[in-house]
Amino acid sequence: MDKHSVHALGDGWFLVEDDERRVRVAVASNADGTWVFMDGQVARLDSGTQGPAASRRRSRGPQDVMSPMPATVVAINAIPGQAVTEGETIIVLEAMKMELPIKAPRSGVVKAVHCAKGDLVQPGVNLLELD
Amino acid sequence: MIRRLLIANRGEIARRILRACRELGIETVAVYSDADAAAPHVSEADRAIRIGPPPARESYLNIDAILGAATASQCDAVHPGYGFLSERAAFARAVETAGLTFVGPPASALEAMGSKVGARKLMTNAGVPVVPGETPADQSDGSMTAAAQKVGFPLLIKPAAGGGGIGMKAVHDESGLAGALAAARREAKASFGNDTLYIERLIEKPRHVEIQVFADNYGNTVHVFERECSAQRRHQKVIEESPCAALSASVRGRMGAAAVAAAQAVGYRNAGTCEFLLEGDGDSARFYFLEMNTRLQVEHPVTEAVVGIDLVHAQLRVASGEKLPFSQDSLTQRGHAIECRIYAEDPAQGFLPQAGPLLLYREPQGPGIRVDSGVKKGSEVSVHYDPMLAKLIVHASTREEARRRAITALRDFAILGIRTNIPFLLEILDHQKFVDASIDTEFLDREGAAIASSIPQEMPNAAALVIEAIRKNPALRQNDALGTGGTPGTPADPFESLGSWRG
Repeated sequence: MDKHSVHALGDGWFLVEDDERRVRVAVASNADGTWVFMDGQVARLDSGTQGPAASRRRSRGPQDVMSPMPATVVAINAIPGQAVTEGETIIVLEAMKMELPIKAPRSGVVKAVHCAKGDLVQPGVNLLELD
Repeated sequence: MIRRLLIANRGEIARRILRACRELGIETVAVYSDADAAAPHVSEADRAIRIGPPPARESYLNIDAILGAATASQCDAVHPGYGFLSERAAFARAVETAGLTFVGPPASALEAMGSKVGARKLMTNAGVPVVPGETPADQSDGSMTAAAQKVGFPLLIKPAAGGGGIGMKAVHDESGLAGALAAARREAKASFGNDTLYIERLIEKPRHVEIQVFADNYGNTVHVFERECSAQRRHQKVIEESPCAALSASVRGRMGAAAVAAAQAVGYRNAGTCEFLLEGDGDSARFYFLEMNTRLQVEHPVTEAVVGIDLVHAQLRVASGEKLPFSQDSLTQRGHAIECRIYAEDPAQGFLPQAGPLLLYREPQGPGIRVDSGVKKGSEVSVHYDPMLAKLIVHASTREEARRRAITALRDFAILGIRTNIPFLLEILDHQKFVDASIDTEFLDREGAAIASSIPQEMPNAAALVIEAIRKNPALRQNDALGTGGTPGTPADPFESLGSWRG
């Protein structure tokens, strides 16, 4: 689509057209990023903003263990001072009736546990720190 | 007729029941947890009552809170929907004891079908074919091994009190038996508080074919034909359709008769579904009773489309004491229907459930297209409940037309803000095995990951052009779905970089 034009259709919809075809694309964004829809496919661009979500993501280090999504902590299999091996399930989360085992990203000693059984945790929040 | 009905459920099925009530002049009372205060099913009901905090066991599974709401709002009936309390005999009994009508089967039928072992015995006595199997009274390893040898390998070990595939183990030869028994016992004990197991022959490459049945209080029991639900991932159905391409007229007739016999054997009333495994196809196909779902099914619209009846209307009429609004002779199948379940899950991340706001939500429309959904633009998808957002049901004169209609509709189903399985559904509908109607119940467990990895990963060129146009002309961004795309022109502009796209 070399020589093309983009028209806003309203409500998040855009029409892209060139000499050969026309395509409708939907766009929506919030603080976390921008989403684009076309023909049943969805793409997402993470925002580079200074918002809390982004800064949380940037602070993530190899010593941290994060939740990939909002979830409830159903089990914690490690205590501070305990040695864990890479791949070992150290926390079990539950979301939407599905269990999500959180595995140790590397071998090490647990420095601190930042969640408790029953907690509702948000994505990007540090659940556990390794030394 | 029922005057005022409490809907003990949420999401799309609560809205489905609500619409049927409105059409029949029945007042509706919705219940909701704190997570659903702003949900569509709450605002659309005639009244809405809060029943507790977000966790289901403190709200939608809380019998006392739900009965309290029904009594306080002077309802004369309760519809349980599916899931939650719908198949709990204790709930049906509590509703009846409170003097209200339970829109569903009697508690005794729920109990009879609730135990797999008991149901199996009842079905065998009623002449309904079941998968060859054994439930040894002596559950020791020695006795279980003898039973396994009698049934033959490959076989399946299942918890007697179970469901949903939990604790189910496939064993292909005797060497794997001891380990599978121990694991199944552990899981059965943990999930159901009962580690009794049964062993049955593993039917390889079966289809899941189920028969809708309906019974009233006047001795009428009919079947409303089949639905094929072989497209399932980890025992969760993904695509359902009717008719089933592998079913000949004579096998269909025999399955229908078996389902009616099953319902009659437990004194069934109202809508129910007998699930069968189908082995082979055509006139030589064999079928085996699996279990009876004693409630309205998620996939009931497929039957409604093909048969041209309203199953929820019929449920409400029969619960009100009326006769079945149709007879066996009046029912026929016309055309082909396909249902696709839209789940909030990311196929690219092992189908990880997704939660978040729906920044944009637009359902497809057109001839032969029906969408039953529990969300709208701005809804917050929470982690507390089932990840199903909506169901797309298409109907057309042939299977191929229905398949194309489903593809076209899904390409027009815009959901932004969280990832859904729509790209995965599109890949399945386009898969040669689906085109040929030759998939079995293990197909998605075998090939689902490969199918998910064939989802396009590159951002479509036209989508990139829109982003580029918005970047060059920030005024265009006011047309963004929420108009909140950050402050134009700041260094933190989300349109600055196209580097981190993932399709």
